[in-house]
Amino acid sequence: MTEAPTRPQTGARRARRPGPAAVIWGSIALFAVLFALFTYQLSAPSQPRQHVLVRKVVKRRVVTTVVPTPGESTVTSGPAVSSTQSSAAATPVTTSAS
Amino acid sequence: MSEHDLTFDAMGSHVRLLIGEPTGGAPPAAEAAERGREFIAGFDRELSRFKPDSGLSRLNADERERVPASELLRRAVGAGLEAAERSGGLVDPTLVREIEATGYASSRAGMRGAPLAEALEQAPQRRPASPSPEARWRRISVDDQRGEVVRPPGVLFDTGGAGKGLAADMVAERLHGYGRFVVDCGGDIRIGGSAALVHPYEVYVEHPLTGERAFVLRLSRGGVATSGLNVRIWRDEDGRYAHHLLDPATGEPAWTGLVGATALGDTAVEAETLSKAALLSGPEGARETLAEQGGLIVHDSGRVEPIGPLARPPRIRLPKLEANGAAT
Repeated sequence: MTEAPTRPQTGARRARRPGPAAVIWGSIALFAVLFALFTYQLSAPSQPRQHVLVRKVVKRRVVTTVVPTPGESTVTSGPAVSSTQSSAAATPVTTSAS
Repeated sequence: MSEHDLTFDAMGSHVRLLIGEPTGGAPPAAEAAERGREFIAGFDRELSRFKPDSGLSRLNADERERVPASELLRRAVGAGLEAAERSGGLVDPTLVREIEATGYASSRAGMRGAPLAEALEQAPQRRPASPSPEARWRRISVDDQRGEVVRPPGVLFDTGGAGKGLAADMVAERLHGYGRFVVDCGGDIRIGGSAALVHPYEVYVEHPLTGERAFVLRLSRGGVATSGLNVRIWRDEDGRYAHHLLDPATGEPAWTGLVGATALGDTAVEAETLSKAALLSGPEGARETLAEQGGLIVHDSGRVEPIGPLARPPRIRLPKLEANGAAT
């Protein structure tokens, strides 16, 4: 009985482990690429942000003063009276029963 | 800054239109005032209870349940119903027969009122008015799609409770193109315009017993109205004093302990409703009615009592400083 000769393994098929220098330089290169990408993203203009508008609604109503001095009825009677004058000169507005 | 000032008589009262400068290509203020006067004249023609050919008189005379009505009449009916709803039935637009029975069957424009002080001495015991248990106003509705007012024949309607306020509001709707303006329909007033926010109007409240200035309001927008016993007051056939503000529960003039009430509101209709409701409610009810929007009441004694925002003195609010220093 004869034994089949064993084939010697070729160098190409055997897994070669990278040397330590290659690992170090590869890591540095990868870091540099990622760092550059990250920096670029940060410096690039971002998408417009949504603005939240905070609005304070102040409902103004009245400021009052008690005036004890006598006044006068202001609305004239009779036919229509029309005039244009400065606001300061206008007769005061009066509310009364009618 | 100039303003156009137009005064004339309409709706049994004095009307005043005070219109500032036009903005954004609106016609001159004088032209707007004239248009406002024409609108109010048409309003009066359509809604007067004293004109037999008015839309309102035709509605009241119509024996059908569904009555065709103009857009203006439908809006006035709607405003009257809103006033009734808002006041819980105190401002009741269906008291036409009752008011005529007291002697107010024709216009009292230009007529001098009876002396209020004397009327108060002879008036019955004071008590707040109440809504009518019958609440006839609840049986009235407006059908805008078909352009009709719907109500059982015989239920009469009167715009008196909200008519002048509605006129003021409707004229104000036509004055958006002006810096600031006042529409004063017999003391029921509407104020508006962006310039009024910077330069508010001073509105004097007339004291119903003395005719003097009882209070000064500073208003930049909204409505203000006054109801009082001093103007439309007369002696009835029996010699008793009567006036036009009726207690819906009895159909008789209401003597509530108040002779006047002024109310503020977002609109003149709202202010008019609140002022009438306040006067009819008596002092205690008036304080509640006017608490939110503000107003003042005048007691039978002549005492003026500001209510709600008017009762509080003016305040200056400083911004609160937070721990981080930000002002809010």
